[in-house]
Amino acid sequence: MPLTDQELKELQQQAKSIRREIVDVTGWSGGAHIGGSLSMTDILTLLYWKYMRLDPARPDWEDRDRFVLSKGHGGVGHAVVLAQRGFFDREVLHKFNETDSMLGMHLDCHKVPGCETSTGSMGHGLSQAVGMALGARVLKKDWRVYCVIGDGESNEGSIWEAAMSAAHYKLDNLIVFQDRNHMMIDGPTEEVMSLEPLADKWRAFGFETREVDGHDMTRLAEAIDEALRMKGKPFMILCDTVKGKGVDFMENKPDWHYGGLSSELVEKAKQSIGE
Amino acid sequence: MALSDEQLAGRIVLRAVLPVIKVMLEDDPAVKKAFENVSGTVQFRAQDEEGPVGACLVFENGAFSVEQGIRENPDLLFDFPSLKSMNDMFRGKPVLPRLAPLLRGIPGHFGLLVKTFKVLLGMKILMPNAKPKTPEKAYLKVKMSLYMVSTALSQMNKAGDPDMHAWTSKQPERIYQWSVDGTDIACYLKMKAGNTKAGRGIYTRRKPFVHMRFSSVDAALPVLANTVDTVSAISQGLVINDGSPEYGGRIGDFMMKISKLLT
Amino acid sequence: MSKTDSTFSWTVYEADKLTQREIYGIVLKDLGARHPEIVGLSADLAKSTKIGTFGDAYPDRFFNFGIAEQNMFGVAAGLAQAGLTPFVSTFSAFASMRACEFVRTDICYQNLNVKIIATHGGISFGSAGTTHHATEDYAIVRAFPNLTVIVPADAIETAQAVKKCMEIDGPVYIRIGRGFEPGVYTAEDYEFEVGKAIEMRSGTDLAIIATGATVYHAVQAADILKAESGISARVLNMHTLKPLDEEAVLKAVAETRRLITVEDHNVINGLGSAVADVIAASGKGCAFTKLGLPDRFSPHGYPEDLMHKFHVDTDGIVDKVRELLNREFEEAEDWEDEV
Repeated sequence: MPLTDQELKELQQQAKSIRREIVDVTGWSGGAHIGGSLSMTDILTLLYWKYMRLDPARPDWEDRDRFVLSKGHGGVGHAVVLAQRGFFDREVLHKFNETDSMLGMHLDCHKVPGCETSTGSMGHGLSQAVGMALGARVLKKDWRVYCVIGDGESNEGSIWEAAMSAAHYKLDNLIVFQDRNHMMIDGPTEEVMSLEPLADKWRAFGFETREVDGHDMTRLAEAIDEALRMKGKPFMILCDTVKGKGVDFMENKPDWHYGGLSSELVEKAKQSIGE
Repeated sequence: MALSDEQLAGRIVLRAVLPVIKVMLEDDPAVKKAFENVSGTVQFRAQDEEGPVGACLVFENGAFSVEQGIRENPDLLFDFPSLKSMNDMFRGKPVLPRLAPLLRGIPGHFGLLVKTFKVLLGMKILMPNAKPKTPEKAYLKVKMSLYMVSTALSQMNKAGDPDMHAWTSKQPERIYQWSVDGTDIACYLKMKAGNTKAGRGIYTRRKPFVHMRFSSVDAALPVLANTVDTVSAISQGLVINDGSPEYGGRIGDFMMKISKLLT
Repeated sequence: MSKTDSTFSWTVYEADKLTQREIYGIVLKDLGARHPEIVGLSADLAKSTKIGTFGDAYPDRFFNFGIAEQNMFGVAAGLAQAGLTPFVSTFSAFASMRACEFVRTDICYQNLNVKIIATHGGISFGSAGTTHHATEDYAIVRAFPNLTVIVPADAIETAQAVKKCMEIDGPVYIRIGRGFEPGVYTAEDYEFEVGKAIEMRSGTDLAIIATGATVYHAVQAADILKAESGISARVLNMHTLKPLDEEAVLKAVAETRRLITVEDHNVINGLGSAVADVIAASGKGCAFTKLGLPDRFSPHGYPEDLMHKFHVDTDGIVDKVRELLNREFEEAEDWEDEV
């Protein structure tokens, strides 16, 4: 269903709220993977507020849709999403990174309600998402699996092993988003280890692939709608994104893959994001 | 110095085939009865390039042994102009020689001659194509074949067959066991650092390294006749090869070589 | 003569048809009938690892992932998260090394109900050589928290272990050989409890602690030592490497004061080291010897020959015990063929 104007507005507001809180948490915690969390915010907002079948009161609900953050370092972004969606008290975000806290850099699925799997090392989540999708089929369930992978992460061979197996098993209940923010720690992806032509690769691996602007919720929603109707193939929504999206001084800067924010910078950042 | 095929076959005939006559004497009631009160010596002799070789069957009122070598005054003498002709007789080929020039001492030992011929005919059962007509004959065939093969393997090694000896000289103490379920048929080949010994029964001092277990006498027949390949035999449950498949295969190779020498 | 002349010859891949000993595949198939949540996974090794037996019976519950072990273990984690009980099988080398991180981080860290059947452990895949030998896997997987590590002595014990998997909540790593290992047990009528070593032979002169394929050799060695040298050796089948039966070790220390460990694995960080940890922590004096593969890469060869070469077979154990106890032995050999 295409987004109505009202829906679009609400979702965009929600996304801003998430971005602002990501900035806050980065400030409180002394440092976080902020760049890559901001680049995927719109994707997660759309999934958690429009598409995914969820009940925050029942994180273990058997028929829930599953979300796997394969680029597990986006944990701060995922944590904020889960908190704002009601899976746990937003107060806990203040303790992000502290020893004995429920929340750390890479979310622990045993501790965080709503977190399906403990990722962090690159190239693991997609395989697990494949496993879940396959499991749904074995159990004859209609819940779906949504998975966000990074572009730097796609250097890992295991991502392609997972892709190959998803296509082999015709997992049309699996929808993968690539957070293509073009940056990794040592610099732009195309300078460190080039990935292009990336869309071609996904198609060659048997994924029905759409390239969209990862910050245009209308286009994203269209792509997801298509994905939900897809039969016999897994779906790849290749999202062209901006690392650090929303904060003008962070956008497209590899340095902001991970960083800390002084209270001054926190203010600047939140102003840039806007209300 | 390597033995020629005929020399090797001759050695197997004299040292591994002839001794299994003992099985017939013990387990075939007709043969047992026939030799109950018979005493006598039957010498087999064949001309080889390096001189005569032979072995002498010694019957003593039911007891039996094989003496290697040539006795001075045997009661009967089976003389062969060559190793090949002696070997051919045991290959089932029509080598029945002219009696007169080849057999001496007939008059006084006609009875022994007839009984010995009967035994030799009975041994045709060892031929791969021979199909035993009764369960008793099948039992005899399997027992005699396995006893023969275990001794033949040992003799092949002792004769210095290059392939066999090269293999056994590298082996630590290992037992190759053959047996047939539901019967008393069992024999083994022990080897260690180039030495071999064929034995009867189940070896007890150590567990076998390879154990070829036939599920029954009937199951053993096609396997020993090489009419079924081992992979099929195993999947059909005719035989179980317990232990190293590679070494089971090697022993099988050598068993095949013996089989070919005697065909 | 050529190796292929004989009807007795076969290739490495046909050999898989000959491993009648390896019954765990059948056991898993039976379990699968009673437990619909069991699924099987393979990385192009269904036949060699015997999980194909399950696969043939339940094609809808069996998934091949091709030669991509890392993905396979990650997928296993995902299947477990969906509520299924995956049995994943591949060669030990690939389970412990190629997919190491996936086993540790996806399966063990998340404490998922994944059962790993790691086959061809140690040097059991002899002819395939070093690349397919798993001589470090005990060292690697012992260190993963949440993981139960079982090394069954033979095919019957493997069947026991596979069944026990369904009673263990969490990940299990079962390490077996290639399927031609000699049998130790004749039936499943003995008590098999995870974490409890089994006393195969009682004895007080020394204790031989073995695991996996070496248990057979330890038992045979003990019998030979008793019959030929009057030495009474206790033999412990330490089938569970983790959690180790520390009580059995301490009892052996107290009652024999001399321990020998033997394993188809490197001497570094395997069974021997695990036992040594217990001895050292106990503060009790005890003579201790490790038999295992040396700190060198194993060459190719038939596994029985390699075990002999590295002194982890019957002869190796017998010789070492005689050496340690200063007992010489002259064997009276009679090489006459019987009639």
